[in-house]
Amino acid sequence: MEALEPPIFNTFGIPHHVAFAWLVMLVLMALAVAIPRRPALVPRGLQNALEAVLEFILGLIDDVIGPEGRRFLPLIATLGLFIFASNLLGLVPGFTAPTDNVNTTGACALVVFFSYHWIGIRQQGLGAYFRHFAGPMPALAPLMVPIELISHLARPLSLTLRLFGNMLGGHILLSIVFFMTVGLSSWALSGAAGVAGLLIGSFGAVATVVFTVGFLFPLKLLVAFLQAFIFVMLSMLYIAGALEADHGAEHGPGGHAGPGVPAPAHH
Amino acid sequence: MRILVTLLGVALGLAEGVAQAQGEAAATGSWVGPFTVVAAGIGMAIAAGLCGLGQARAIAAALEGMARQPGAAARIQTAMIIGLALIESLAIYTLVIAIILLFANPFK
Repeated sequence: MEALEPPIFNTFGIPHHVAFAWLVMLVLMALAVAIPRRPALVPRGLQNALEAVLEFILGLIDDVIGPEGRRFLPLIATLGLFIFASNLLGLVPGFTAPTDNVNTTGACALVVFFSYHWIGIRQQGLGAYFRHFAGPMPALAPLMVPIELISHLARPLSLTLRLFGNMLGGHILLSIVFFMTVGLSSWALSGAAGVAGLLIGSFGAVATVVFTVGFLFPLKLLVAFLQAFIFVMLSMLYIAGALEADHGAEHGPGGHAGPGVPAPAHH
Repeated sequence: MRILVTLLGVALGLAEGVAQAQGEAAATGSWVGPFTVVAAGIGMAIAAGLCGLGQARAIAAALEGMARQPGAAARIQTAMIIGLALIESLAIYTLVIAIILLFANPFK
């Protein structure tokens, strides 16, 4: 696994995922301060792009949590943008994604875990929130409470492992393909197998490069966006579950049966 | 009956091969070591196969719904993508165990 470490950013004593997480934070903060203090009424350029991103996330929040969930936009958007940017950083050769380390993904998942419990407790009060763990009837409580506890503990675990496994799997796959290409071309160019070896080896190397650039990179781009989207969607579902455990009948998530298409952009 | 006999033969052959391999292997008393590689491979294969079956059912149902009501295609597609990611995460958990067994084996 030592061969999979990035050659750049050999900062002293700082683990790679921490250094690259700082890089992601720098990039996101630079994007944020690039908007002037009083944003233009008619957005152009960078402000337009960032507003489009936030509109997309607001649409998701409206669909899943409902209009009163808009105050959670900072939490949701920060998580989503950080995870998406971190995933994308893993596609750059020589960089490593901070999210392919279980510590980063665990940190994001723990933030979501404590957030949605805190939101539920602040909304309904301590006693009422935990009374919902007992289920619809008091007689079912000894059965429901362990099930609810385990399912609530499994949520941050699944969030962590899902993001971590996807990113690490992609990282290992790219590294293996890279080393296979290097090994193949060095074997071909070393002349150990003659002209036939040179032809086959070079053809194999070119085929591998084409396969990587043409298929693996778009697939990893899709996975990077998808995993950030799934993380954000599940966090919103957990927040919605914590909020509506009290008043599920009167104020559902916008009347939809589940996550739907985001609200169309209206500017 | 024949299948059981075949499986028994395969298992015995596997055990004998592993026993021979670890005759020279680590003497720390961890006889589990060589089996973890087999476990990682077979476990990942089973997880990938079943994940493929589950995702196929999800996509088939989503496509049928989209064919019935093209107007709802965008919402169905969003729900399908979320469902696929959740099904895939089960195979990812198995991948994490396989990676731990291969690269950070606690039984070596």
